[in-house]
Amino acid sequence: MRSLLLMGLSLGLTAAVIGNAFYQKKQFYPSVVYITKSNPSMAVIYIQALVFVVLMGKLLRALFFGQLRAAEMEHLIERSWYAVTETCLAFTVFRDDFSPKFVALFTLLLFLKCFHWLAEDRIDYMERSPAISWVFHIRALSLMFVLGLLDIFFVRYAFIYTLSKGPSVQLVFGFEYEILFTIVLMTFIKYVLHSIDLQRQNPWDNKAVYLLYSELVMGFIRMVLYVAFVFIMIKVHTFPLFAIRPMYLTVRAFQKAAQDVILSRRAIRHMNTLYPDATPEELSSGDNVCIICREEMTTGCKKLPCNHIFHTSCLRSWFQRQQTCPTCRLEVLRMPRTTPVAAAAPPAQQPQPAQAPQHPVNQVQNPFQNMQGMFGGLPFQWPPNVAGQAVPPPPFIWPPQQQQAAAGVGAQQQPVSSAETPSQIPITTSSSTNNVGATATSPTVPLTTANSLNVPPFAIPPFMPPMMPPLFSPFGFPPPPMPMTGLSEEELRVMEGTERANIEARIQWLRDIQALLDGAMVLINQYNTVANHIGTFGINTAPVPPVISQSGLSSEVSSGPHQTYSTWWPEGSGARPKYTSTLSKTQTTDSPNERKSSSTVQDTVVSGASGFTAPREEIIPAWENPREEGHEDDMHEVRKRRLQHFTQQLQASYSTPTLCSNGNSDNSGVPSSSIKKDEEDH
Amino acid sequence: MAGSALKRLMAEYKQLTLNPPEGIIAGPVDEENFFEWEALIMGPQDTCFEGGVFPARLTFPPDYPLGPPKMKFSCDIFHPNIYPDGRVCISILHAPGDDPMGYETSAERWSPVQSVEKILLSVVSMLAEPNDESAANVDAAKTWRDDRKGFEEIAKVTVRKSLGL
Repeated sequence: MRSLLLMGLSLGLTAAVIGNAFYQKKQFYPSVVYITKSNPSMAVIYIQALVFVVLMGKLLRALFFGQLRAAEMEHLIERSWYAVTETCLAFTVFRDDFSPKFVALFTLLLFLKCFHWLAEDRIDYMERSPAISWVFHIRALSLMFVLGLLDIFFVRYAFIYTLSKGPSVQLVFGFEYEILFTIVLMTFIKYVLHSIDLQRQNPWDNKAVYLLYSELVMGFIRMVLYVAFVFIMIKVHTFPLFAIRPMYLTVRAFQKAAQDVILSRRAIRHMNTLYPDATPEELSSGDNVCIICREEMTTGCKKLPCNHIFHTSCLRSWFQRQQTCPTCRLEVLRMPRTTPVAAAAPPAQQPQPAQAPQHPVNQVQNPFQNMQGMFGGLPFQWPPNVAGQAVPPPPFIWPPQQQQAAAGVGAQQQPVSSAETPSQIPITTSSSTNNVGATATSPTVPLTTANSLNVPPFAIPPFMPPMMPPLFSPFGFPPPPMPMTGLSEEELRVMEGTERANIEARIQWLRDIQALLDGAMVLINQYNTVANHIGTFGINTAPVPPVISQSGLSSEVSSGPHQTYSTWWPEGSGARPKYTSTLSKTQTTDSPNERKSSSTVQDTVVSGASGFTAPREEIIPAWENPREEGHEDDMHEVRKRRLQHFTQQLQASYSTPTLCSNGNSDNSGVPSSSIKKDEEDH
Repeated sequence: MAGSALKRLMAEYKQLTLNPPEGIIAGPVDEENFFEWEALIMGPQDTCFEGGVFPARLTFPPDYPLGPPKMKFSCDIFHPNIYPDGRVCISILHAPGDDPMGYETSAERWSPVQSVEKILLSVVSMLAEPNDESAANVDAAKTWRDDRKGFEEIAKVTVRKSLGL
């Protein structure tokens, strides 16, 4: 109402002034001269111009913004006051070129600044508004376009003017419009980010990060601009007092942006390294509402050491402010870093799955060092449920005294026991070959028969023990693995992740396994040498084409009862956690009975870890008559083929150093059973 | 996908509408702007504020729930923990960084676990049991400590005023 009155008054005054001029001079030109010569008339005209500017502003505001919200209005008025004071300060610097034109330019600048601020506020509001209409988008885009164009135009104008006429007040305008242009740019970036976010169905986690970085860059540009401006102003005129406040604010904003970026990076780093992802089980059990955003958690969640689970993005933004658990305020950074230790521990314990399964019987740490004591007093409990077929576990006990006595005498049993550990893998391989060979050549012969005979080679040479030790030593076997019993579910989960630490852990595992494999290779070579030396059988004698064997292998693998395990190794490390967790579970059980039940797993692990071929022998029907003499010839034949196949594989695995190359790595437990049978034979 | 602050505020509004706690009504001033809420708080029973209905304004920051909202009573209320201009001084409304009274532990500060409902319930219990150790209104704290009768008289007047009597 009051503004209407003022507008009417100003309009009336202008009309009166112009009417008076025309009344006195009668003609256009003299009346214009009259008005410009008369100060009161000019004052009225200026006031009228101001009123027009305000009206124009209202019109544009209605066009671009519609109704302003209370907060926006408040913000605008507050900033306008600062701007007006700064403009007055600028007048003092440029008092020499003070003129109506100068005032008009400053008014225009202020006018445009207001629109920049409003645009900024509006775009910020985007994120907080429940509904964004297309009108909003059109308004925002056109406004930013117009403002950007105006800014560029004025910057260019000031630049050309300063170049042609030397430094003047245009310097100030040039810098001011440059700053305004950065505001438009930043507003546009925000607009784009918000728009993308609005289009998405699920939250966009990285938006905050992009915003932070764009703030940082813009803050830096603005700071550089201000510093350059102050520098030039000091050189040309005097210290620009009016620029101090905005410059201070800019520097502070930049500092805050930099700090935010640092904190954000730290938070992200901590998120990635310190805290494990929450598993689906954890999410599905109990209350799965993220306490920060009050939304259900389905994926992308992190678990803190205090077992509270949050969305990764929510937690990150909170950690940017504070490094405490939002729920229990546990100072997560001051916590002893349990999780990273757990993540680092698996690599150290890593050889375990490769070796431990070789001795399902006990948990001897280093079979290569403790060979003598290895079977001491250990009940040789053979897994009865290998392949689900009922192999009766014979009471196979090696009394230590007997073993030691045998070592001295070179009794027949001794080689078996001492060569047991290293020869496991060969046995595995050969048995697999055996399997295939049996199927390929003599389908009528039950596989078990062949199986039953695959061990004698190890038991036959009585002079093996003397040979073995010197051959062992040169090839430094990997250090004894740490027991995996200490691995908790959580630690295992850590390994499942996709972060660097987890992958490193997995690679470490694989490397250790490879080392073990290499050791096994050496043993195999020794075995071959010995075998050739003895002349019992040759490696290159059997003519079984490898194609057949491969197909036989694969088919057997796929039909094996341990299909779940048969698939994991070729896939690479992805399925590893499953394997390790099973293993750890298995190994925590120390009592023989329990081990019996889990021996299948362990056996699977053996083969998986060793990476050797050996299809599952579980499929093989039960051992019916191991000592049947009628199969003697078949057995020899089969053994030859087995060995040949094995040699091929050996070469293949030498050419391809990664363990995973063997897809059919999944024999389960037959080596042990075959050994046992073998020993029964003797 | 709207901003997380907005979504959380909408969720809280829904929750407060579906299961309103006793003696508290709260909601956005208008549905266009979820960052300004109006709350009506009933004076707790068996206290000198019993029977009063006190309107308050809650202003949420754009980064809610990472930052605490501001709460301000829009009526006159004479209380040790309410500034004369109506601002509420309770520890859970303070961001962990700043400590106006210099004695709160960070465990009492704002955290995203807090919600509008918890804030308003805290304010109700604050009305019932003023804390004169960290006084926002020193006069009120002094009156509360030294002249309980006088404090109750003033509270009764406040209650009557809040009811428009």
